[in-house]
Amino acid sequence: MTERNGSEPRESAMDPMDRMDPSVWRGLTQPRLSRRQLLTSAGAGAGMLGLGAFLAACGVKGTSTSGTSNKPGSVGSAAWWAKQKPTKTVNFANWPYYIDVFKGKHLSLEHFTATTGIAVNYTEPISDNVPFYAKIRPSLQAGQPTGYDIIVMTNNSPPLGYLIENGWLIPLDQKAMPNFDKNAGPLIKNPSWDPGNKYTMAWQSGWTAIGYNSSVIKNPGTSVDILFDKKYAGKVGMMNDLQELGSVGLLAIGVEPATSTESDWAKAAKKLQQQRSDGIVRSYYDQSYIDHLKNGDTVVSMAWSGDIFQADLNSKYRDLKLLIADQGGMFWTDNMCIPMYAQNPRAAMTLMDYWYQPDVEALVEYYNDYVCPVPGAKDFLLHPSGWGAQALKTMNPEIGLPTSTTADAPTVFPTAAYIKNSRPYYEYKSQEELTTWNNLFSPITQGA
Amino acid sequence: MWLLVLFLIPLVVMLSLSLQTCNFGTGACVMTWHWGEFWQQFSLYKGQLRNSFVYAGAATIIDLVVSFPIAYWIAFHGGRKKNFFLLMLLVPFFVSFVIRTVVWQFILSDQGVVLGSLKNAHLLPQSFHILATGYAVVAGLAYNYLPFTALPLYVAIERIDKRVLEASHDLYASRRETFTRVILPLTIPGLFAAFLLTFIPALGDYVNQTVLGGTNDTMIGTVIQNSFLQNLDYAGGSALSAMLLAVSLIGIFAYSRLLGARTIEEYL
Repeated sequence: MTERNGSEPRESAMDPMDRMDPSVWRGLTQPRLSRRQLLTSAGAGAGMLGLGAFLAACGVKGTSTSGTSNKPGSVGSAAWWAKQKPTKTVNFANWPYYIDVFKGKHLSLEHFTATTGIAVNYTEPISDNVPFYAKIRPSLQAGQPTGYDIIVMTNNSPPLGYLIENGWLIPLDQKAMPNFDKNAGPLIKNPSWDPGNKYTMAWQSGWTAIGYNSSVIKNPGTSVDILFDKKYAGKVGMMNDLQELGSVGLLAIGVEPATSTESDWAKAAKKLQQQRSDGIVRSYYDQSYIDHLKNGDTVVSMAWSGDIFQADLNSKYRDLKLLIADQGGMFWTDNMCIPMYAQNPRAAMTLMDYWYQPDVEALVEYYNDYVCPVPGAKDFLLHPSGWGAQALKTMNPEIGLPTSTTADAPTVFPTAAYIKNSRPYYEYKSQEELTTWNNLFSPITQGA
Repeated sequence: MWLLVLFLIPLVVMLSLSLQTCNFGTGACVMTWHWGEFWQQFSLYKGQLRNSFVYAGAATIIDLVVSFPIAYWIAFHGGRKKNFFLLMLLVPFFVSFVIRTVVWQFILSDQGVVLGSLKNAHLLPQSFHILATGYAVVAGLAYNYLPFTALPLYVAIERIDKRVLEASHDLYASRRETFTRVILPLTIPGLFAAFLLTFIPALGDYVNQTVLGGTNDTMIGTVIQNSFLQNLDYAGGSALSAMLLAVSLIGIFAYSRLLGARTIEEYL
């Protein structure tokens, strides 16, 4: 910082300043600091002011090109799809640790490229729905490609709805999803958030349930009350995602989240506020909740089902167990969709449908242990054959468990009891409802 | 001119955004002159604003106390190796800000290297923890912003003419008097610059609180970050940013009034 400044010819830099009104000069000093910190340490607070200004600029731009009106009439129609030429590459944006990994490679993707000749540029830029949406929104608003042909958005968070409402997703080619039609499971076929699978196909589903350390907690019971138990004060992890947090609050006061009312929300918020002021909550975490559960900072935590299974793969963390309470576990689905202006829609369709083959999906499940959208993959895991058998065998030493463990896991291929215990999220009817929800629950995660 | 384009325009945009009403989904904003936004945000988050001031202030004071002797020693006793010592002071800060903070999270974790060993030796009760408290946040801030204090102080102290100190001795001042009546007054502009350079960025910091903090120590930076990135509430976030900016400007204004506008430029 100093060196950079030292090399600046001070006199010439000062001269124009002297001609300016001193009050303007003083006003400029602060942002001048801001930019330096933005450049030298991206996380610094003043840098954040710069980011704020940047985002603000994007927001204002939106007023001139109102987002809702730029829906190109024919995109996604049968005639439009008929005109789309196949391309040799596809850009797939997914969440981290969500696909089979073997020595840094993805065997399922390699098989896809080998059989179709389409190269996949697989990236993991999504760690949260809203921030990712905020990143791609300016491109969509400006009518430009986002750089991704497939993105994965969760049904429990507002952005998926925004994308559909604003006409920012390409309707799928219903004639180009034979595997989906044949193999998709009942949980994710024709779902309530996307009737007729007009825009989306599921990637994976899962529960937001409770993870606990069984070496500390011998008798966890069967209720979400464990998260509110004073015995574990200071050792309870909660999620800072407002949809997740609010839903657990609703379960705790015995209300179905999907049919809840605003007065229920207020009661749930009060319950969660009490939990915080009683000192029960250690902190409100993003994805990092799993690290804190692993290293003992928390002993019981809100948790995503697959994370606990993946943690169990390491013998150090075998004590971590998943509990889906009697009140139910929140059931969500991550959905693949094609953002508007995607450059390779035909290749994207091919790849999305590719996952709906039992042998391909078996590979993904063997690694990530979330809820499989293809029930037929269970048989394949029990009786593997062909290239898939070879791939599973290759992955086996790293995973260290037989494929039958995945096949028999109720959290991957849910039993009737698990399905009965799954709860859908509340679907907001308007922006005002979302604001009400946020204003109730965000003061809890951001306590002072 | 480039200052105007790069800073003044974004600032005006931010200020105007704080008075607009935005659609979360499309990001389209309409100017509504909604001045109530400021009061609403202030009353929702005054506790977090207070935290920011208390933590940033505590961290700045710690930094001043810690770095004064360091800067003093390097300036007066560093000899020909001054630059080497300065480099040593800065080396840890070549690592990314966020990574340094996350490393502290590992070091201070409940069962980690430090607390875990002390607990096993029964020197600390099992329930003791530093992470997820305000102390951890202040410690993180103080650590991360140390160079912002040490460097301006070094520049100020280094600039003192050594002959002035000799004169002070010749006039029978004790070492203590030399310090309080000669060295300290001569470094006041540097102290103030160091204070501003540390306090202002620490005030808006959100990384330390997010990584090291808990449930009752949220700083305003975290709130602003969440407003922008989690809730897409650009108007609310802008209003809070504007309040923070106003406070920073008051500090700079006070500085230039007391010590002249030119001096701050010399320390940057």
